[in-house]
Amino acid sequence: MYSNDFIIKIDSLNKSFGKIKALDNLNLEIKRGELLGIIGPNGAGKTTAIRITSCILQPDSGNVLVDDMSIHRDQIKIKSMIGYLPEEPNLYERFKARDLLRYFAELYGVPKNRIDDRINELLKLVNMSNRADDRINTFSKGLRQRIGIARALIHDPKIIIFDEPTMGLDPATAHNIREFIRGLKGEKTIILCTHYMDEADSLCDRVAILNQGKIIDMGTPEYLKSKIHGDIILELKVENPNNIDANLIKDFDSVEDVYIKGNLFIISLKSKNDIKSIINVFNNDILSVNTKEPTLEDVFIHTIK
Amino acid sequence: MKFTTITRWEFKETLKSKKFLIIFCLQLSMLFLMIFVFNAFAANIQSDNGVSLTPSLSGFASLDIDDQGHLFTKYINPSLINIQSSNYNTALQNLNNGEITGFVQVPADSLNSIKNIDTINVKLYLDYSDPKRSVISDEVNSTTNILATSISNSWIDSLIPQNTTQIVVNQQSTGQSLQIQLLTNAMLAILLFLPLFFFGNLIIDSVVGEKEKKTGEILMAMPISPSQIILGKILAVEAIIALQIVLWMIILITMGFKFANPILIYILVTITALPIIGVTTIISAYSKNYKEAGIGITLSYIAVVGVLIIPALTYLSVKPLAANISPMTMVMRILSGETIPFWQYFIPIAFILLVSIITYWISIKLFERDDIFFGPRPGLIRLFLELISFKKIKKIR
Repeated sequence: MYSNDFIIKIDSLNKSFGKIKALDNLNLEIKRGELLGIIGPNGAGKTTAIRITSCILQPDSGNVLVDDMSIHRDQIKIKSMIGYLPEEPNLYERFKARDLLRYFAELYGVPKNRIDDRINELLKLVNMSNRADDRINTFSKGLRQRIGIARALIHDPKIIIFDEPTMGLDPATAHNIREFIRGLKGEKTIILCTHYMDEADSLCDRVAILNQGKIIDMGTPEYLKSKIHGDIILELKVENPNNIDANLIKDFDSVEDVYIKGNLFIISLKSKNDIKSIINVFNNDILSVNTKEPTLEDVFIHTIK
Repeated sequence: MKFTTITRWEFKETLKSKKFLIIFCLQLSMLFLMIFVFNAFAANIQSDNGVSLTPSLSGFASLDIDDQGHLFTKYINPSLINIQSSNYNTALQNLNNGEITGFVQVPADSLNSIKNIDTINVKLYLDYSDPKRSVISDEVNSTTNILATSISNSWIDSLIPQNTTQIVVNQQSTGQSLQIQLLTNAMLAILLFLPLFFFGNLIIDSVVGEKEKKTGEILMAMPISPSQIILGKILAVEAIIALQIVLWMIILITMGFKFANPILIYILVTITALPIIGVTTIISAYSKNYKEAGIGITLSYIAVVGVLIIPALTYLSVKPLAANISPMTMVMRILSGETIPFWQYFIPIAFILLVSIITYWISIKLFERDDIFFGPRPGLIRLFLELISFKKIKKIR
């Protein structure tokens, strides 16, 4: 039975594009007010999953229930509940910012007497009040993204879906947008698709790792980090990785996992006991040594490899 | 009714667009240029040195003749006019039924009149609703002149010039010659229907532009069905075309062109835009990009022009009822002042509505498919087979 705690339930979703299987029996549940991150490599099926949830695509099989409504029956109602921000904001270039928001407000059915207030409120929220009457084609990518966010929120949706909202933005703008999303936390149910592990780590209540159309792991960032790795990550950059026998490293008791990325050895350790001995295995090939706490990126690389 | 929101915004933003205004002004310039060229051409034809545009079609018009002495019949040009012997009652009946364009009655005692040097009163009856009446009138006039000259020469030869008998034909003044009337009506009809083919780029921009500029994804996420999106966009273009036709008609009237029933002509031309927009929308909904849509629309418009013009030209020569499926035929008939039975207006209107419904239905079905929008796009053969097999096309949104 469908639980009221979950506002979105993705059930056995399959979708292919020609011979390419984008989603392979995908199952996922999202709680009310939760900020769920979906991470995965390119082509993992993240965008397909959120497009189906937003009723933009139809699955080959399976279903998505949004607040107990099926994407097969109640598309218009579901669309009214969702604010969707695609990877590229793709706004109508010839519109002025204010007109664009008004157009979408009318399409979403925002009451006419509320439209002006709502537009002003959102322009202030995304710090764009001073550019309200400028055309979209005069905006930088960061400004477009901000207007895109305002557009996605114009009808005050229960659910917001962000697809790579900070992709290609400068660090300052990306930071502002992250802070904005953080501000919505708890108030709205948010799905955040991202390539940036730091973003998912710092913002998300839970993170789903998607690969080849399937969820391969899911949990809180802390849970995922603790589950996949030990307490310490040892990173060794070497001159010639072919000279090193990785099996020798794996023989140490404290070593949980070894991952080689170019000339970088990433070694997960349960304890610091064997660090000296491991370094000795590399002899004089070492260029640099670094130890750190595991991050979501380590989890991601480990999970999808 | 959210499609009205799309219509209103598309209409407003199009009129505000500089690109559109430039195209709009260029179209109006072209109209002025065409009027100028046409006027120069018509003036040349009307002049004594002008080229003749007399139709050379065999049996172009039909004429009944009551000429018991066969005085007149042998001189009339049979390559242009279908001639049949008749009597007064039968000919008038044929005239009323629209089977003939004119009837010439030559007095039975015309040969005696020539001998007695009396006037011969040849009567000509014409169908005023038929634009070909001028051909008959011209031909009868020409024949009487030939006949009179022939008789005169004969008498001159016999050195009795005072015996010359002039055959008198009581003919009405037809104003412009047939050539000019035909040319004017055809030119006006073409000018009136021309704007319908200028707005393909608006539909391409409105539908294909959503794919190329990737704005369609956001539009698809709106709580509005694909059918309403398509309907909204189509109505916006229709409104712009309607506005353009009003302007063109005002300019044409200002420039001295006369319209028998401008409101009726306006309605016919404007609703003709509906199926043309429908065809353009099908192509736009299927096309991946502007280039593909441009090629498709160029090819399809050739066919559309054929459907409009061929029946209209056919009607000028043989008057089949089926020619009325083209609204251009109807407009040409209205322009020529013909009295058209009320029910005949339903022929082009029914055709327009039928084609519009079919083309919009196909457009919506194509627009609903996510494989066309997001790929991989299905082939035309597969789509066609799905359509003719009535297999349910997978509804996407």
